[in-house]
Amino acid sequence: MSSILQELESQISGLKTTTTKSNVGIVREIGDGVARIEGLSDVMLNELIEFPGGLYGLALNLEEGEVGCILLGDEKGVVEGVEVKTTGRLLSVPVGKGLLGRVVDTLGNPVDGKGPINASATYPVEKVAPGIIKRKSVSQPVQTGIMAIDAMIPVGRGQRELIIGDRATGKTTIAIDTIINQARINKANEGKPGFRPLYSIYVGVGQKNSNIARSLAVLEAAGALPYTIIVSAPASDTATNQYLAPFSGAAMGEWFMDNGMDALIVYDDLSKHAVAYRQVSLLLKRPSGREAYPGDVFYLHSRLLERSARVDEKNGNGSVTALPIIETQAGDVSAYIPTNVISITDGQIYLETDLFYQGIRPAVSVGLSVSRVGSAAQIKAVKQVAGKIKGDLAQFRELAAFAQFGSDLDAKTKSILDRGARIVELFKQVQYNPLATEIMVTTLWSMQNGYMDDVAVDKIKDFQLKLQDYFATRKDAVLAKIRDKGAISDDITADLKAALAEFKTSYR
Amino acid sequence: MKLDKDARKLTKGLFQLSLTNGRLDDKKVSAVVKKVIADKPRSFVGILKEYQRLVRLEVAKHHAVIESATPLDKKGTEQLLAKLQAKYGRDLTTEFKVSPSLLGGLRIKIGSDVFDSSVRERLARLETQLTQA
Ligand SMILES: Nc1ncnc2c1ncn2[C@@H]1O[C@H](COP(=O)(O)OP(=O)(O)OP(=O)(O)O)[C@@H](O)[C@H]1O
Ligand SMILES: [Mg+2]
Repeated sequence: MSSILQELESQISGLKTTTTKSNVGIVREIGDGVARIEGLSDVMLNELIEFPGGLYGLALNLEEGEVGCILLGDEKGVVEGVEVKTTGRLLSVPVGKGLLGRVVDTLGNPVDGKGPINASATYPVEKVAPGIIKRKSVSQPVQTGIMAIDAMIPVGRGQRELIIGDRATGKTTIAIDTIINQARINKANEGKPGFRPLYSIYVGVGQKNSNIARSLAVLEAAGALPYTIIVSAPASDTATNQYLAPFSGAAMGEWFMDNGMDALIVYDDLSKHAVAYRQVSLLLKRPSGREAYPGDVFYLHSRLLERSARVDEKNGNGSVTALPIIETQAGDVSAYIPTNVISITDGQIYLETDLFYQGIRPAVSVGLSVSRVGSAAQIKAVKQVAGKIKGDLAQFRELAAFAQFGSDLDAKTKSILDRGARIVELFKQVQYNPLATEIMVTTLWSMQNGYMDDVAVDKIKDFQLKLQDYFATRKDAVLAKIRDKGAISDDITADLKAALAEFKTSYR
Repeated sequence: MKLDKDARKLTKGLFQLSLTNGRLDDKKVSAVVKKVIADKPRSFVGILKEYQRLVRLEVAKHHAVIESATPLDKKGTEQLLAKLQAKYGRDLTTEFKVSPSLLGGLRIKIGSDVFDSSVRERLARLETQLTQA
């Protein structure tokens, strides 16, 4: 008790003589979540403005003698003519491991009913991205656990890989699967020396509440929640909160990077984010340009995605990987927002509606998907078995279109078609079931080495599942060897040959 | 209703024309207004409104509103005035107000800068310190 009294006393004496200097303004117009304020001559861009009654706003438009401000709460009770003041502070959110396993709103307030957040610090929502000198080239993989992606479109830590496709083509599922896979890897390797866990942040922008609830339930059921932060700004939230949510998520990710750890952020999705920003700009009466989006929407997304990086050893070796999602309309990637984001990211995973409805799920388009880092983000074992796959499959897609018309194909064409059809089958993968890298390696090795050539295409999936099961239950030692070496050495090749010979005799 | 870019630029130019040595010049202001009314350029009402706003803000920059909980005595007033004019220039206009809600101390507002040493402000700060700690 006495210490509280002492503290109070020292605080009061600290107040005694000081005169505060502040910068004030008068609200001229308020409504629809924005305020126009006259005065505030000293305000900074993105500074928090304090309104009476504990309401805060964010200064976004700085004009001659007038400031446009978006409100971070309920404007009820604030009327024209009231005085507001600058705070000298930027909008900040709680960061740290205490957020793992939690669902928070844009401002970092818990919305999961699990009590207060135990934050390590607070970070400003807007921050300058690490300079080019501090960055390190991408070399460590993010294992998505989705074979088509890890084999053909590898993602590296610190990269920005776009997931793009029409509505309901499995975009969110790819992101959720990747998060689940990180949790599995983290759990399996907990405490091993040199192991770098990858923590996930899922930012839901403009989603239906039911969609967020579904993703949350899936993550919870898969045991992935303890390694994941969910930032939720659903469709029912204000445009302001939807606009800011990705930046809050980025701040939370940066804390991991600054502390030498790795984080993965999913922005689901930036199309809805752009719409929210358009609405905010409209309310602020900013001029609009192409497709009615404000002129700086490109800058909005580039400054968000610039914050993903891998910093060098001197700066702790941490990373933030971004998986932004974009929804296209009728596959049109040349619309304004898709082109923008494609030009900012390091590659894209392109999902096609046609493939999805043909049952090829995940509906990854081989021709249109790219990874700009390529095999630099693959471990050697994957490189060894997947090196040619993308080319083989692309060739298959080309030839398959013609093959329907001609019956007598030359031997070479026929072998490309046979191989391709089998790869397509192997890459079909049910949702919420990411695969371990060593399982992928054995599967692709078996295919590359002809062990599936005599299996009918419609039996490939069955063969694959039984083979995976065989390795998991009977050949754990081989899997462990691949896992530890990270490459297929001669003795592993011998082990694989022996295992496949045994499996083939028993398979029916 | 909102001024377009060109009209805004024109207004800013008119405002610049109304200054002598960086300070508003009454004669120039009335000349500008007369000219605009006579010429009636496109959206001139909007231009005049915006011009009026800029002039009002400029006037406020050189006007001090001094609030105190109880009326200041003559000596205190003179001292304060001298200090403010030393800092903000001889042409600073002043306005004194008595606001018992300050509880004690002074609050001075010049343009959008506020210097507050009132008891009310100190209590408010203490409150935020205690509730946000
Ligand atoms: N690999 C898969 N195997 C089977 N079903 C899948 C697969 N991937 C996605 N689905 C199903 O397809 C549907 C759409 O998936 P998802 O919600 O991930 O798509 P989306 O592109 O994010 O959709 P939206 O445009 O609504 O955001 C869901 O019902 C999901 O369960
Ligand atoms: Mg989705």
